[in-house]
Amino acid sequence: MHWLHLAVAVIFEILVAIAAGKAEGFKNRKWTGITLASGAAATFFLSKALLTFDVGVGYALWTSVAGVGITVLGALFFGQRLNAHKAIGILLVIGGVVGLQLSGSA
Amino acid sequence: MSNPAKTSSTNAWLSLLLAGVFEIGYALAVGGSEGFTVLTWSLVAVVFFLLTLYALSLALRTIDVSIGYAVWAGIGAVGAAVLGPLFFDETLTPAKGIWLAVIIAGVIWLKLADRTKPEAAPVPRTEPVADRAGALRV
Repeated sequence: MHWLHLAVAVIFEILVAIAAGKAEGFKNRKWTGITLASGAAATFFLSKALLTFDVGVGYALWTSVAGVGITVLGALFFGQRLNAHKAIGILLVIGGVVGLQLSGSA
Repeated sequence: MSNPAKTSSTNAWLSLLLAGVFEIGYALAVGGSEGFTVLTWSLVAVVFFLLTLYALSLALRTIDVSIGYAVWAGIGAVGAAVLGPLFFDETLTPAKGIWLAVIIAGVIWLKLADRTKPEAAPVPRTEPVADRAGALRV
């Protein structure tokens, strides 16, 4: 269940990034509202996930997987380049998450 | 006489460090809120959420967005991992520490990937947007 909560928190966090990008420095009211609502939802589901995950582990997983999602979505739908630099970052995050899980620390 | 540009840069970095500290507070408070069932921790979490947003947006007026996010995310994640065991019934084992370090290095590296090249022609600076993950500039 905690992985599901974390996944939902990550999805809302990615939504925060997309909405904040459209909020034009919080001048656009609609997207500012979506940004804040998504942030609140992300925080809520993160807190649910942290009922099981250690704070440090859950927080790192949340922020890093969201970062990977933002980079991948940016490349797929927002015309950003997925270069070698970004690929290394993605691989580091994935490797770290897998290692954490295999070592029984997550 | 202080150099105004230098003062502004120093203040921006102070804001960024503060934003990182607030982000640690946010992470710890969200954990302590136990699914937002503990009122005090929940209120503290909301306050830190707003403080980190405000301090980050101040810092990003001066500091390159990608560097700002990288530093901020790094402070938050390292701080939460190190301070979690002090506040809660948690332990930071060597294995956990190493894999967390790999993850945190990955996310810092990822944030730095958007860095604008210093030698590139100056581009019109868009208003930076403070969000919690790295805004997609679309």
